[in-house]
Amino acid sequence: MQIVTIKPTKEIKISTEVENISPDKFAGKTEQEIKSLEAWIGNQKMTIGELFSVKVEGSAPAADTKIVMEGDFSRVKRIGEGMTAGLVIINGNVDMHLGAKMSGGKISVKGNVDSWAGREMKGGELIIEGNAGYYLGAGYRGESCGMRGGKITVMGNALDFVGEHMCGGEIIVNGNTGILPGLSNNGGKIVIGGNTSRPGSEMSKGTIIVNGTVDEMMPVFKLEGNEAVDGVTYKKYTGDVIVNGKGLLYIK
Amino acid sequence: MELLIKNGSVYDPSNGINGDKADISIKDGKIVDKVSSKATVIDAGGRLVMAGGVDAHSHIAGAKVNVGRIMRPEDTRSGIKPRTKLTRPTTGYTVPNVYAMGYRYAQMGYTTVFEAAQAIMKARHTHEELEEIPIIDKGALTLFGSNWPTMDFVREKNMDKLAAYISWGLLASRGFGVKVVNPGGGEMWGFGKNVTSLDDVVPNFDVTPREIIVSLMKANEMLGLPHSVHLHCNNLGKPGNYKTTLASMELADQVKASRDRQVLHVTHLLFNSMGGTNWGDFESKADEVANYLNNHDNVTGDMGQMIFGSATTMTADGPVQYANAKLMHAKWANGDVELEDASGVVPLYYIKQVSVYAIMWATGLELGLLTKDPYKMLLTTDHPNGGPFVNYSEVIALLMSNKKRQEEIKTVHEAVHSKTRLPGIERELDFSEIAIMTRAGTAKVLGLLDTKGHLGVGADADVSIYDIKPDQIDPSVEHAKIKSAFSSAAYTIKGGQVVVKDGQITATPMGRTYWVDARVPEQHTNEMMKDIVKKFKNYYSIQLANYMVQDAYLTHPKVVKAGAIPVEVR
Ligand SMILES: [Zn+2]
Repeated sequence: MQIVTIKPTKEIKISTEVENISPDKFAGKTEQEIKSLEAWIGNQKMTIGELFSVKVEGSAPAADTKIVMEGDFSRVKRIGEGMTAGLVIINGNVDMHLGAKMSGGKISVKGNVDSWAGREMKGGELIIEGNAGYYLGAGYRGESCGMRGGKITVMGNALDFVGEHMCGGEIIVNGNTGILPGLSNNGGKIVIGGNTSRPGSEMSKGTIIVNGTVDEMMPVFKLEGNEAVDGVTYKKYTGDVIVNGKGLLYIK
Repeated sequence: MELLIKNGSVYDPSNGINGDKADISIKDGKIVDKVSSKATVIDAGGRLVMAGGVDAHSHIAGAKVNVGRIMRPEDTRSGIKPRTKLTRPTTGYTVPNVYAMGYRYAQMGYTTVFEAAQAIMKARHTHEELEEIPIIDKGALTLFGSNWPTMDFVREKNMDKLAAYISWGLLASRGFGVKVVNPGGGEMWGFGKNVTSLDDVVPNFDVTPREIIVSLMKANEMLGLPHSVHLHCNNLGKPGNYKTTLASMELADQVKASRDRQVLHVTHLLFNSMGGTNWGDFESKADEVANYLNNHDNVTGDMGQMIFGSATTMTADGPVQYANAKLMHAKWANGDVELEDASGVVPLYYIKQVSVYAIMWATGLELGLLTKDPYKMLLTTDHPNGGPFVNYSEVIALLMSNKKRQEEIKTVHEAVHSKTRLPGIERELDFSEIAIMTRAGTAKVLGLLDTKGHLGVGADADVSIYDIKPDQIDPSVEHAKIKSAFSSAAYTIKGGQVVVKDGQITATPMGRTYWVDARVPEQHTNEMMKDIVKKFKNYYSIQLANYMVQDAYLTHPKVVKAGAIPVEVR
């Protein structure tokens, strides 16, 4: 087991990109080696050591590497990007693109995450105890496939466009979401505990389950009757009929 | 400035040099007989030396290329390289930014590339981009096939006016040649329709694609343009279209060439060699098309080879792009160029396991292998329609190695066995044939063989050296080495200057932009202009005075003179 503890050494006010914070990048490295990894603050190239304190205990491959992040990371983007294994625990808030393109391992956040968390994620698990921003598990601009696999759980709320262009995997939001969850999705499953509006527009495949109320329904779904999912009875819709969609939309 | 390339294994087929050990002398940007002892020496050490690559059909600049960039931000995320002291930043794979166009071509050993389609009205945009593409020489073919004046003059059978219009259109667009895309189809698309045969009548103009093609070929030869008519056939991308393609090729028999070259170049034949009646019984008819070329000397073609993976299809064929987008549920952009053309852009992803794509992939290679004379079948991917140009090395390796083809065939949909002849083709092209398909042949088809595509005295000093020793390699077996060598030149020399060494850019001079100044008798121009002025007054939304591309847009022009009458100095 390798445990790496990271804390900001000063308040980070400017947008910072550190995709090197990842079990894959830290595994087997010494404190000095980790500190010398690249980080970008604004348009300046710096190192992890110039922004964060780093403590390393043990040495192990990525699968047995745990990163513990203490403090405020609300301007730090791309944490855990592309990670394939290991564990990242963040005791604070983080900026955009958390766990983007990750294919394995687990990220657990105690605070809130900004937009694009789990974007184009292929596998692994993302647990967010606070709230999520826009485009949770979505595809970035122009991308036809967002989240493709893995699981995202949000204990709080999420903003608009949850799982846009999603092709696989599962997103669970216990609270409410903003408008258009599952926009243009082509697979995967989205479960919303609370309320939302206009779910499933342009969906061609996939499943969306809404347990709260739907403020506004797109007129592009066909009511198929009632159906029970895991012992709960929902109104079952299929659509989006405009794109000959085979998507399933369950609303309580 | 003198340069001597010693000990090269030189492939210069148009000069009859096929792998001979030879030295190449360069002075002031030209190949010369010999140089002084002060010349800088590059020791090729027995490695493969060819003329700089010439591409006769690629989409590198202009309105639809830029629409591709705008609608594909996800493509921009690949291929990102930050700037260096020498080079500007690059982005993209299927729709690279302007700088990447020049760098990546040069890195492959290419030094001359022609943009395959610009509408006259959009030419200013084309030249704005060409002016920013570093290193390579370039030019753009101008669209004439669906322009209102073209169809008017064809209907009136007024060849003098048609020739005058082409002459003026090339000047207005600073264009190099006559491109014809789905003739008549651009106009029909304005009504949500398309032409489906050579004899469909275009509404309001009372002309047929057949008449448009023949008239433009005649006018092209009246003007003695360096390049022939460059045709994107009707019915592109539709099963069964090979019949339209063959019928279009036959039209060349009605016209006599004004120069030592073809009368008609039919482009990206992969998309026009389709058999069957629908996507279910779709099959390759590359053998029929290749057979036609093998028996006729007045038509040439290029492959438009497909590369598996991401592509961005872009063409002045508006209706076919609408059909593509609907079929594939893909993103779609449509463009209308008033009075001149329509266009469309659709990103596609070519998957090996999809039967249609596997058949199309094989069709392109069949065209390259079944056409006996490589001067008649140029190597292109119709970048980025069949795939990005950076994959030419893959195509070269496939053409040179049956072993590689058989390995690939195992990984694609089995339809390739029943619907194409590729698995049974054993032919493996040699270095001379590759040099023709990528250099001598392209230069000849473009009418530029005097200075491009060869290494004889008087040619431009555009040379590429690849890290292969032809006498020590078996391309059939060592196809991976072939691919790697052709993807990254050991040296690229452009106009006598080393611009690439070991695959890295070493200098970024600005290349020239070729355009053709074709003269016609002044009275023909005056007559024709009366009609053009009327068109602008009645229909165009812009003024004639704002229409012409000014000299300021071409800082490094290379004017090729042509024309029906002796040319006076301007
Ligand atoms: Zn093209």
